[in-house]
Amino acid sequence: MTKPLLELRGLSGGYPPVSVFRDVSLSVKQGEHVGLFGPNGHGKTTLLKTIAGVLDPWDGGIYFEGKRLNAVGKMQARVSHNLNYDLFRKRRINALDVVDAGLIYVMQGNLLFPEMTVEEVLDIAPRAARNRPGVAQMRRQIHDLFPRLRERWTSKIRYLSGGERQMVSIAVGLLAMPRLLMLDEPTLGLSPKLRIELSEAVRNIRETGVPLIIVDQNVEFLTSLVDRLILFDHGTITREIPAENMPKHAELMDMMFGGAH
Amino acid sequence: MGFEAFTFILMSGILLGGLYALMATGLAVVWTTLGVFNFAHGAFVTLGAYMAWQVSQSVAGGFGFLIAVATSVTVMFCLGFVLHFALIKPFERNQNVVLLAVVSTLAAASIIENAVLLNWGPRDKQIAPPITSKIDFFGASINTFDFVILGIALFALFGLALFLRRTTVGRTLRAAAQNREAAELMGLNVPKLFAITLGLSAATAALAGVFVGSLRFINPTFGADPLMKSLIVVILGGVARFTSPIYAAFVVGIVESFSAYFLGLYWSPALLFAMMIAVLLIKPEGLFGHRSKTL
Ligand SMILES: Nc1ncnc2c1ncn2[C@@H]1O[C@H](COP(=O)(O)OP(=O)(O)OP(=O)(O)O)[C@@H](O)[C@H]1O
Ligand SMILES: [Mg+2]
Repeated sequence: MTKPLLELRGLSGGYPPVSVFRDVSLSVKQGEHVGLFGPNGHGKTTLLKTIAGVLDPWDGGIYFEGKRLNAVGKMQARVSHNLNYDLFRKRRINALDVVDAGLIYVMQGNLLFPEMTVEEVLDIAPRAARNRPGVAQMRRQIHDLFPRLRERWTSKIRYLSGGERQMVSIAVGLLAMPRLLMLDEPTLGLSPKLRIELSEAVRNIRETGVPLIIVDQNVEFLTSLVDRLILFDHGTITREIPAENMPKHAELMDMMFGGAH
Repeated sequence: MGFEAFTFILMSGILLGGLYALMATGLAVVWTTLGVFNFAHGAFVTLGAYMAWQVSQSVAGGFGFLIAVATSVTVMFCLGFVLHFALIKPFERNQNVVLLAVVSTLAAASIIENAVLLNWGPRDKQIAPPITSKIDFFGASINTFDFVILGIALFALFGLALFLRRTTVGRTLRAAAQNREAAELMGLNVPKLFAITLGLSAATAALAGVFVGSLRFINPTFGADPLMKSLIVVILGGVARFTSPIYAAFVVGIVESFSAYFLGLYWSPALLFAMMIAVLLIKPEGLFGHRSKTL
């Protein structure tokens, strides 16, 4: 049995005091591509942000290659409204540790750095991984993956279209030399043409063997890319579907909403 | 007013503008990056000046002045770096961070001023300028050192701009300023980058302090005036671009110097504040640029 690359054990989190997801357990093996599907606003982004270390987990554990990334124990609720309790509250996970481990999250609708050019952003991108082998090669690969970016090399991110910005985001994630890449709604708001272009790029990334967790609302896009589909509803995993019986859009809607659609 | 007097006032206004540009840019860079206003900036100017004075006391001559500048700038960079973790980082997750930082930086200003008072006493001091010659400039006799100061101030600002645009560290600094969350997800150490920003700001304040200290007498509370003027400059010019406060600094310097001649020294702050309020009413994002916050 191979050891899981990423393992979540009973993970809970949210935006205090609002709990968004509870008791999520999941494991992703080396070389596996996992899709996460669920209705809007049910906490997929919150879950991924917690794993990436920008939000504090409330309870449970995040393990990457057997190493625990977050602090042990439950997060304490705010005890006093008079004391400035935040001052003494430690972060329970450090985003830098997560990135250093190679667990890379590509944010949903990422605005990135509006006043910097594509060139500048891609220049600073590999800082976290600058000692890792293959960065230079990855840099060249980016050009092949996203030929469109070459034309926008010196434009500021502010002037890019949503799709181009998404490509820069993914390129930034790739330059961190990920051992696991989490893509949050890469096709959000893209035209069909751009979506095809992007799914081609994701397919190419997939071919390089980087394990992926993809969140997307487009079922066809998702099912064509992943080995396993996880249904996420009201902040918990409700079902896992293996590759053999990957559902069509209508079937999936049936499963999730009992034929309401 | 003769042409000679005009040139003289204009030149002193431009010199003042160069100093304000140096101080205001430090303030503006912290504002755009950390998102807080550093009310200890004036105290940084004071402390920088006193440290340079101390060094120049023990090493005489033009060479001594250089050592004094280098020491003061380096020490203030380190102090600014450390102070980020004491004054701003503890409150960064609080939603009232801007207000809390006002209080914590004011506290730091008060502590620094009193420490300067305890250590160096209340009597006025002056750093001996390394160059005392004068040159004839369109009929007016101007200190050569004024030109040197202006040159160094502009050079330092140019260097800072180049650092932010061209070097990788500078670029990561701008990245952290523009989108903190994305910078963290990129593996950038944001607290460290913010600390470097405060350090750079303190270093420019120290440089300005040394120049002020070699132009006039300094005392432990003289930093209040540069702080106020920098505030006016930043609000007047806005922070849309790196150069916005620099232009505004020259406007303020020249206006101040002419109003001091025509209206008297005591009216020039009132005039500047009136200008600032007028700009806030008509063009709240600042005179130079149309966006609110960038680096
Ligand atoms: N910064 C925030 N502060 C407070 N609540 C938030 C914040 N961001 C999101 N939420 C809430 O958390 C819940 C989950 O949001 P989340 O973005 O994780 O959903 P999602 O499954 O990713 O949705 P989508 O498919 O639209 O991206 C929502 O109810 C949302 O309103
Ligand atoms: Mg989402």
